[in-house]
Formats: sequence, C-alpha cells, structure tokens
Amino acid sequence: MHKIKVKINGTDYENEVEPRLLLVHYLRDKAHLTGTHVGCDTGNCGACTVFLNGKPVKSCNMLAVQADGADLMTVEGLARGGALHPVQEAFLDKFAVQCGYCTPGMMLSALALLKSNPKPSEAEIREAIEGNICMCTGYQQIVDAIAHAADLMGQSRSA
Amino acid sequence: MLNFDEIFVTRNWFGKPVRRDADTRFVKGEGSYVDDLNMDCVYAGFVRSPHAHARLGKIDTSKAEALKGVLAVMTGPEVAALTKPVGARAITRPARQHVMATGKVRYVGEPVAVVVAEDRYTVEDALDLVEVEYEPLPVVVEVEEAMKAGAPLVFEEAETNVLLHDTLTHGDIDGAFRQADLVVKEQFRIQRFSSTPLENWAIIAKHEKGTDSFVVWANCQQPGRSIVNVCGCLGIPANKLRFIVPDSGGGFGIKLALWPYIVSQCVVARKVDKPVKWIQTRREHLLAGTHTPDCVVDLELALKRDGKVLGLKIRDRQNDGSFVHTAGIYNLIKFATMVGCYDIKATQAELMSIVSNKAPTVQNRGVGKPAMIFTLERLMHRAAVQLGLDPAEIRFRNFVQPEQMPHTTPSGEIYESGNYPETLRKALAQIGYDGVKKEQESLRKQGKYIGVGLSASIEPGTSNLGYYYTSRGTPEYMGNAEGAIVSMDYDGNVNVLLGSVDEGQGHATSVAQVVADMLAFTPERVTMNTHMDSLVSPFLGHSGCYANRFNDVDMGAVIMATKKVRDKVLKIGAHMLGVPEGEVRLKDGAVCSAAEAKKSAPFKDIATVAYKQILLLPKGVEPGLKEVAYYKNEIAKMPGKEDFNVQMTHSNSVHAAVVEVDVESGMVSFRKYVIAHDCGRHINPGIVDGMAIGSTVHGVGTVLLEEFIYDENGQILTTSFVDYMKPLAVGLPRFELTHLESPCPTSLLGTKAVGEGGAIGSLAAIANAVEDALAPFGVKVTSLPITPEKVMRAIRETKVI
Repeated sequence: MHKIKVKINGTDYENEVEPRLLLVHYLRDKAHLTGTHVGCDTGNCGACTVFLNGKPVKSCNMLAVQADGADLMTVEGLARGGALHPVQEAFLDKFAVQCGYCTPGMMLSALALLKSNPKPSEAEIREAIEGNICMCTGYQQIVDAIAHAADLMGQSRSA
Repeated sequence: MLNFDEIFVTRNWFGKPVRRDADTRFVKGEGSYVDDLNMDCVYAGFVRSPHAHARLGKIDTSKAEALKGVLAVMTGPEVAALTKPVGARAITRPARQHVMATGKVRYVGEPVAVVVAEDRYTVEDALDLVEVEYEPLPVVVEVEEAMKAGAPLVFEEAETNVLLHDTLTHGDIDGAFRQADLVVKEQFRIQRFSSTPLENWAIIAKHEKGTDSFVVWANCQQPGRSIVNVCGCLGIPANKLRFIVPDSGGGFGIKLALWPYIVSQCVVARKVDKPVKWIQTRREHLLAGTHTPDCVVDLELALKRDGKVLGLKIRDRQNDGSFVHTAGIYNLIKFATMVGCYDIKATQAELMSIVSNKAPTVQNRGVGKPAMIFTLERLMHRAAVQLGLDPAEIRFRNFVQPEQMPHTTPSGEIYESGNYPETLRKALAQIGYDGVKKEQESLRKQGKYIGVGLSASIEPGTSNLGYYYTSRGTPEYMGNAEGAIVSMDYDGNVNVLLGSVDEGQGHATSVAQVVADMLAFTPERVTMNTHMDSLVSPFLGHSGCYANRFNDVDMGAVIMATKKVRDKVLKIGAHMLGVPEGEVRLKDGAVCSAAEAKKSAPFKDIATVAYKQILLLPKGVEPGLKEVAYYKNEIAKMPGKEDFNVQMTHSNSVHAAVVEVDVESGMVSFRKYVIAHDCGRHINPGIVDGMAIGSTVHGVGTVLLEEFIYDENGQILTTSFVDYMKPLAVGLPRFELTHLESPCPTSLLGTKAVGEGGAIGSLAAIANAVEDALAPFGVKVTSLPITPEKVMRAIRETKVI
C-alpha cells in the first residue's frame, strides 16, 4: 500500500492505496466523486476525463499513485457557489445531454479546448472532442453547445 | 379517445424546446447510475469461456476460493441446479438454456463461473485462479455452415440449428411475379453490430434474509418483462423481488436482456448475504452481450416497366447466435416492415432464425427494420437504374399516398398517417438534388467521385407484443400499454411516476411540458422521478423503454392520470368557491370562477382541503389527490398470421446523403446530409432533433465502421473500441433536418415514433450514395459495412462491396 496526497476540487485528500489502483477508481471509490465515469477499458471513450494540474487526462489510463501530489479537478468542481459553469449552462441550453454518461468527460474536454482557444471553429471543436465518445446525440448538439459556451465565456470575460 | 383540444388548457409548453432542467444532475456529475450507488457492496465477476463450442468438464474453484478476500465462487452447473431454464419467445424448436453455461459452452464469453470478492481487483485476481476443463467441439459460425446437413448442433434437442422456419404469404404473390416485366433480386449480407450504450450493464443484487426476498438495482431497459423472467428463473413469486432501475447511461435495446445476469447474481447474493455489485467491462460487453444478429437476406422485387412494384419476396436467414430468449424476433419485425413506404399488394417472407456459436443477440435500435429498409431501398435504387428511372421517381410512383391513410399493408399493418411524397419532395429540395447530379458529372471529369443516395423509410413505434408468437400460438403478452401515477402534493405541485424507465430521452421534461399545459401552470411545478421501483411504480408486463412507445402509451398514461387529478381538483375547487362545477376553469395554477376571475382557489389551497381539511371536501369525494391510469393503444389486433399489426404508430423519413469516395484510399466522406422527418407532433423539438441525429449516427457507424468479426473458430476479434470502431465527432457531417407534421390519429397527442428512425433510414441512403459515386467503376454494394478495404478491393477486382 502507498500513501498518496491529492487536492481534488480544492479539497485535500490523503489515502492508502494499492499501487495498481486506477485513478478513476480512486476518484469514484475512495474519494466518492462518482461524476467521473467509466465507459471502456482502453482509453477510447473519454468518460473518465478529469483535469490533472490544469490539463485534461483520462483517469482510467493513470494509476492513483501517479497522481500523488497533483491538483485535480473533476466535473463536481465545475459549478461554483451554486452557479453552473458556462459550459454546463451551454450543454443544457443546446440539448447536448441525453443519457448524461459521457457528459462530465465531454464538458471537461470542452473546457480544456476553450481555455486554450476561446473562439474555436466547428472543425476545431470536433477535433478537440475526438477522444470522447457519445453514443446518444450524434455530437451535433454537443458541438453547438461548445460553440455556445465559448460565447457565454466570452461575454463573462468582457463583462 | 380524448381529443387533442380536450387535453390542453394552455399551449405554453407543448411543442416548445423547453430546456431539460429536470436533468441538471447530469451536468453536475450527480446522476445516480448503478455503479454510483454506495451500499457497502461486494463485487462479482465472471469466468468466461475461451471456446466457441466445448463440452464443459471439471471446474476447480479451490484456488480461487482460497484467495484472501474471495467470498464465494459458483459454477454454471451449480447456478443451473438452483434456477429454471431461460424461456424462448419466437422459436418453434425445443432448445434448453440456463443463465450460465452448464453441460457445454456455446459461445466465446459465455459465463462459466461467478466469483464474489471484497473488491473489484480481487475479483479479477480470482477469475484467473478458476481452472476449467473444456473438450472442444466442432464450431458453427456462419448461417450457411449452420444450415448444412450434419452441421454441429448448438442445441442437440432441437435436432437442427434452424429454430424458427416459417413462410408467410399475403396477396397473390405468384400472380405478381407472373405479371412482372422485370424481377430485380439481390443477396445482401449485413454484419453483426451493436449500439453499445456508453454505460455497460450494471447490477446490484441483495438478498433480504428476514423475508427471503431480493432487491435488485439494474440498468435494465424493460423492467416489466425482466421481473417476470427473473422470478421465473429463480422460481420465486413476484412479491419476493423488488426491482429498481436508477439512471441509465443509454440503452438502445442493448439493455433489454441483461436479466440472465440478474438471476445468477441473486443466486450468489443469497449465498454471500451481502449486496453484490457487478459492473460489466467494455470488453465483456462487446464479447458476450449483446449484439444485433448478422443476416443474409435474399430479396426479390417484381416490377412493371413503369416502375410499379407488384410484389416482394424476402428470404431471411438470421444468425441469432446462442440466446434462445430473443431468437427469431428480428425475422418477424422485418416481415412486418417489409413493404416500407410503398403500396405493394403481394408479399412473401421466408423466415429463418438460425443459432450458431456466436454471442447472444438482443433487440438493438430499430430491431430488424434497419436491415429490412436497407435491403428494400437498395433494391429500389437498383430497380430504378435498371429501368432507366430516376431513383426519386420510382419512389414517387410506389408510395402509399396521403389520401390512402389509414392504409393497411398486405399482412395487416395499419399505416395510420403520413405524407410520404411530400417527405421526399422536402428532402430533394433541401439536398439540392438536381444540382448534385450536375456537380457529379463535372467532378467525375476531375477524377472526383461523388454520389447521392436516397432512402425512404418507415419508422414504426409501439410494438403489439404478441408478434413473436405469430408462429407459435397463444401469446404470453399482447398489445402495448403503460401505467402512470400522477399526484398533486401538499404544495399544489405535481409528481409523476411511470412504470417505464428513461434511457436518456428526457422523459421528465416532456412529461412536465404536457402536464403543465393540462393544468395551466409551469413545468417547474412538475417533477418526475424517472427511476423505476416495482414497490411504487405502476408497471405492466409491457413496461420499459423500447419500440418508440413513450410518445404513445407512456404519454397516454400520464395524460389520463393527470385528467383524473384535474377533474378532482376542479370539483374540489368549484365547491370551495361555491360555484357550480361547469362554471370554473383553470388559470395560473388555480381554479377560478369563469364569471368572476378574481374568485380563485390556488392548487395549494385545494391540496390543503384534499389532504388535511378533509371535512371541507364536497360530499362523496375521497381525500387525497393521487391517481393511477393505465393506457393502451386500442388498434392492436390479436396476433395471427393472416391479419396482424406488429407496430401501432408509423413515422416516416427520407434520408438523402451526398458522399465522396476517395478511389485512392477507399475512404467515404460526407458532403451533405439531409433528414426529412415526420414523427407527427413534437412535444419538445430540441429532444426530437437530438434523437433524429443521434440515431442517424448509429446508422453511419453501421454502414461505415462497426462490425463484430468472428474467425472460423468462432473467436471474436473485435472486443474494444480500438477495433470495434464507433463514430466520432470528426468525420460526421452537419445533419440538416427538415420536418413535416402529420399528426397520428391514434395517439392522444398526435405524436409518433422518434428515436429509431435514423438508424433505420440512414443505411440505404449512404450505401446508395456510395454505389452512385462508384457507378463509373461498376461497383455494387451488397454488404455492410462499407470499409475502405472493401471499397478498394471492389474497385480493383471484385466490383462488389
């Protein structure tokens, strides 16, 4: 067993973990943050996407011990003080959510894009979410939601 | 039947793209899917057969049992001894199968033993320690081998691998083929695929010692039937099983038959006396459960020279793998949909459900209709080319006309509504049909190959559930219906419960819109818990999220229960206001005097009387404001071979695709894609659009990417999303939607099926476009998927994809 310390959504956690424990299972089973989902075994689907030190990672492709000392953000960290994040608002506005299972990972990939590219084109959006599979929507309303989120975030920056 | 104008008091919400705020939990990561439920569970996992067909020898569980943290190991034969066999629905030959392997294994991935341990990781360790002896048997993989005389038998007691073989003839089929100027025929091969919901199967089973009963949490799509099946296999009465369905991460039919795993999990839960959680891995999901059956379809069209279709014959050989419960279902749905949007007077369907050493199959999005419409619309395209007609024109000449509605097909299906010619006209206008044809010519001169493909498709909804007994006799289930409970609470807000479940379609929002307009208040005041709990939900054997039935029977039940609440609220309100019952109306969440609007009783005050100040109730009125209603679609006929309607509502669409085929790489890319769609009235256009596009993308995956590939030993080669490829955001076109609204006269709201249509209509549109693009090379499309490898081989050598 190894002791790890991480910060998740601003809160400190310290746990004993098996060295083989996947980060996603650490988040779900030890930190009880179940918004991060598992949809495949091979890193293809992106449902487990979280931020590690500000960058998106697939938490099923990492061990918890590798995250020791890291600053993590999961979907539960998006809304602040009861107010939804613009990406969350945009996903609801544009019907980008159907079953909701891909949604957390999809929103974090979207946010990663918008941080580096505040005004992405449709092609750039599609490329940015290539690592996230949605089985329900056919992606179109998700693409529209991300463009809409860019507008909302632009408005809040200029306000 | 309640008419549309009697249903609504206001029209503020119905038909509007109301935001799905009822599902805000999903954007916050606060959904409660089965794996999110934290109840001090232990974990289960399955030892699975590495052989496609083998006699099961000794299973040594001792090493696994000795591992620290392991609580129990049970073998397939041990579970079989404690359970009853799985019931068959459509097949006519005897075939005995249990929920886990016993005696022999019939497919790679069949569960042979179940392990329970304290955590997920120990389960994986223990699975490796179970030692199983197998004596391999000869394998049957494809339908042709399975049908050969002397082929190895998947179920010896059936004495054949063809478990259903029936021929259904309607109209003068021989006359039609005698009078034909042209017969167009083709053999099509459609691959195995699956809609693969992003959340895999997930189950928690708990045994309650005190009452010797079970509580199950499962992401099951069809709780009504699953309860019957689980109780049947466990040999327990229904009152010994509480069945709960929390949030579910997509279904598409693939979660209709996870109940065999519920049975085995209940057995081990009783043994270990702790809640047992099983979370299927993606590999298990792709390997062992469950697929759309692959099929070989021979189709023949008898035509007059002017393009009029006189008759249609299908010979359908379907590879149903190795699950007796669902075998034969696809055949019968294909049969019911075989004339598509056309007025064809004579049909013949020879149907064969064939078992093999492939994985189990289940009703995947569209169930047989994707294959049926694909083959029909491929052949319509082919017939047009052979007759020198435009592919649009041949369709116009054969459509059922709007003035023929309601139209009864030769086998008894009733098309109640729709304007098929107008749907095609809209699609042609939107795709710019004539312009694309001109562009095609000029691009060909530059060595670029584009093609346009059309597909006119019927999208049925609400199964008449006896259909799979068409070949067997008395149905266990008939018709289709749903139940709803609607209650107004202390605060005058409304709560709704359905017997059905939600797989992501936003039922809570659609229901809130309808209820709000029925009660003249706002959707925020309507809550619907979409979770199903057999202790409180008003379910029937039909209950579940399948067959495009929500807009019909689910909504019907909600409307009828809301109407009962409304009648009672009006009665109590009138009494409170001292106004005769006929002289009150609903406004802004209150009962008002029609003559004097200021005189009003808000719902909250009415609820206070109904629940607390019950001495103030009018004479003869019961306290409380909770009502149950069950609603059935009235047009279901009794199952029979001569005259039977398998589905009860009929949406339709035309898909039009423009593709480019890169003849150097074989890659197919989209230039334009139009969906002209008629699903009657829309409750929420934002939701309807998402369903139409989402299901079309399932079709894109089927046509271009997805295939479960088996080798000659029955080994499946595609068990991850690396080799079983799903559509991604990149590579898809921007889908252009255009809608018609032909209200359905047999559903309360005029709504019809939405959800399966894209997965049905898209296949032929894309395939026809590819064949059109490759016309200069003489390449024909007779199989799916259309992979770059097959395209290149066809261009260079075979001329056939």
